Amino acid sequence: MRKGIVQLVAIGVVIGVAVALVAVLFQWLPESASEEFDRIQDIYWFATWMSVVIFAIVGAVVVYSVWKWRVPPDDDAEGPPIHGHTGLEIAWTAVPAILVIALGIVSAVVMSKNGETKDDALQVRAIGQQFAWKFEYPEHGDFESGELVLPVNQQAHFTMEAVDVIHSFWVPNLGQKMDAVPGIETTINVTPDRTGDFAVVCTELCGLGHATMRARARVVTQAEFDEWIEEQRT
Amino acid sequence: MTATHPEPDVQQYPAHFEPPHGSTWKSFFGPGLVRGAWMAVAGFVIGMLLVLALRWWWGWEPLWNTEVVLVVGAMVLAPIGFLAGIGSFDYWLHYISGRPTQPEDHSGHGARTWKDYFRVNTDHKVIGIQYLVTTFTFFTIGGLMAMFFRAELAQPGLQFVDSQTFNGLVSVHATLMIFLFIIPAFAGLANFAVPLMLGAPDMAFPRLNALSFWLLPIAGLMFVASFLAPGGAFGAGWTGYAPLAEGQPLGQTFFNMGVQWAGASSIMTALNFLVTIITMRAPGMTFWRMPLLVWANFTTSLLVVLATPFIAGSQFFVMFDRIMHTSFFVPEGGGYVLGYQHIFWFYSHPAVYIMMLPGFGIVSEVISSMSRKPIFGYRLMALSLLGILVLGFSVWAHHMFVAGMADWLRVPMMITTLLIAIPTGIKVFSWIATLWRGRIHLTTPMLFALGFVTMFVIGGLSGIYLGSVPIDIAASDTYFIVAHIHYVLFGGSVFTIYAGVYYWFPKMTGRMYSETLGKWHFWLTFLSFNATFFPMHYVGLRGMPRRVFDYDEAFGNMNLFISIASFVLGASFVLFVYNMITSWQRGPVAEANPWRARTLEWQVSSPPPIFNFDEIPQVVGGPYEYGVPGARHAILTPTKEAQKEAEEVHA
Repeated sequence: MRKGIVQLVAIGVVIGVAVALVAVLFQWLPESASEEFDRIQDIYWFATWMSVVIFAIVGAVVVYSVWKWRVPPDDDAEGPPIHGHTGLEIAWTAVPAILVIALGIVSAVVMSKNGETKDDALQVRAIGQQFAWKFEYPEHGDFESGELVLPVNQQAHFTMEAVDVIHSFWVPNLGQKMDAVPGIETTINVTPDRTGDFAVVCTELCGLGHATMRARARVVTQAEFDEWIEEQRT
Repeated sequence: MTATHPEPDVQQYPAHFEPPHGSTWKSFFGPGLVRGAWMAVAGFVIGMLLVLALRWWWGWEPLWNTEVVLVVGAMVLAPIGFLAGIGSFDYWLHYISGRPTQPEDHSGHGARTWKDYFRVNTDHKVIGIQYLVTTFTFFTIGGLMAMFFRAELAQPGLQFVDSQTFNGLVSVHATLMIFLFIIPAFAGLANFAVPLMLGAPDMAFPRLNALSFWLLPIAGLMFVASFLAPGGAFGAGWTGYAPLAEGQPLGQTFFNMGVQWAGASSIMTALNFLVTIITMRAPGMTFWRMPLLVWANFTTSLLVVLATPFIAGSQFFVMFDRIMHTSFFVPEGGGYVLGYQHIFWFYSHPAVYIMMLPGFGIVSEVISSMSRKPIFGYRLMALSLLGILVLGFSVWAHHMFVAGMADWLRVPMMITTLLIAIPTGIKVFSWIATLWRGRIHLTTPMLFALGFVTMFVIGGLSGIYLGSVPIDIAASDTYFIVAHIHYVLFGGSVFTIYAGVYYWFPKMTGRMYSETLGKWHFWLTFLSFNATFFPMHYVGLRGMPRRVFDYDEAFGNMNLFISIASFVLGASFVLFVYNMITSWQRGPVAEANPWRARTLEWQVSSPPPIFNFDEIPQVVGGPYEYGVPGARHAILTPTKEAQKEAEEVHA
């Protein structure tokens, strides 16, 4: 029996290491460019390590059992009549419960942090329309831009509107996403922490041109941003 | 012990094996497909004239409105005409109108030739097979659509189709797979197995059962026919979100109405299952002695009955907005756009469990009998089904974390969503504990069951990612979601449907499938399934939204790989079809109980006698007592002896 346990654990470790390598060797997430996405990535890794362990356990038991206790088709014996084990059943009810509640708490904390709007946040209105995005900066004058420009290290508070159908604003590197819904206003916060060029994509099916409803997002320094605002005003 | 099965008593059922006979006149006016066809046409004409007459009466311009004529004529009255024509309502109409009802002659029971599968048949075993053949037909159509748009997606940009057709293909693919394959395929398997497992001669309402089957092809044809509508098939996704759906061309109405027919079919079947399970259990079959497949269908039916009316409502509202100019979801008219999503997901989340719980039941049967061990923690397995049932109604808004709904709803919905992992985890751990120290027969159904357990764990774990609101904000509406639902619905549900079809194939047809082909089918499906859907997690997280025909060139190679894998996945299905058809025709004759299982359906001949049991079985113990010395699930002998024997067993 002891040998069996060792073999089982060995299979579990092999599967776990293989899955963990898949998790770390590929870059699954786009490089984060916002404080919000940094926090989201932390939870992502929490969930990933949890998943690796659970998958390794299930995989190990399945592989080990089939390897160890497979019988030829003409075998007509019966297995031991084990109907259950209260301790085990309590364990696999309680342990996942603790894990998911922990994940829930961590998620709720991140959610509330990502939801805090600072008083000095830059106000941006994002308007979705078949099939283009428009951005307005109400504090900086009366102009529209087809390109999203944000200053680095400055929280931006987005208010979304939709003219016709539901659209969804997403910048993969900034990690934040929110639907623009006709008839209501929705909001989201983004605090870019790195300059660069990123893509804005629409992620809610909005009709024939949905796939091509993209825009450019530029995160620039505060000085460059001020300059850009001046250009837009004139 | 196996009961003997004498030929059914000819005196008792005089017209038992007699097909309806008669002249040309009778084949034209008697129940059947011919009458169904002309009554469908008549129904359409009546509907069209009714619309024209009313519009003329009120002086509405223009007199001809294609959409209204189609809704009333082609999508309501023509199907009713068809159903009346094939004879679904004959008995009831006789009864209601006070005419003498024809005594039940049982000629609509059982199937002697393949033609008997094309009539209104009230035998649950025939209906089960009708369901399975129909649903696999639509599975084929939906699968071909998937391969078609995977061909389109192999390269960025548009190659083969225009964007409306692309959206149509994606939407119809999902709709067929959900409403015409997974949900009804489970209903078909359960139709066949549940009455047998309960020791019942048939379902509680055989005529209703036949009617609920015949509603399905109507729904399926509507979805497929939408490609012929001017403007193309419905292209707002299977979710049909308002207000996009309200501005769609005519094809959207086919979705709105098709869902009604498919939904009506589900509700009728579910009511039938509930009544059958509650009232038609054999003596001694207490709830705690029911096989887990029966438990699974009991909870699924509760979900269907409670939830399905919500999707019916959501689609009616959208249709009313479209053709009657109401404003349920039109903000300018005071409508509430998010209302659609709340109503839709109040059905469509429980629908995920409707598409999963029967599979849990199938896998419990397969794993227990193939491991030669009692199912681990039987009562907790049943209770966790009920736990999923209750929690399943409290998580719908997790589909709306980025939809702009009230902020306070997010945390409670996240918590209930994560809590569902607990009963689901209990089931997974209990299955693998059932394997432990068993004597494992690695047959094809068992391979699919084990494939299901591992793939469903991946789908469940990606579900935990999505349950966490912050991760969902990043991953929602991307290919990560596409990967997740295919791990749950393909690696989950479809694998269990395969397991179920292979497992009950000998019982249904009386013949054995080819084990070699079955294993090839499994490994090819398993590998190409993973090659197709696992990389989708990656492209999704990296920034590829779902439902797009064009995407960033960075994802080009990965999408090419996915497309090629999806064609292999499609090819693996050919093996399955070939195996099923040739084995049904000339496979080796199957024993009554090739798996040496304990549940009741295996204690009768393969295929089972026309009324299932010659004597009502007496249930004396649990269904999975493998390896327990002297344990019996049921005694199938004439009733008095059974009672005596039951008393002895108890003593």
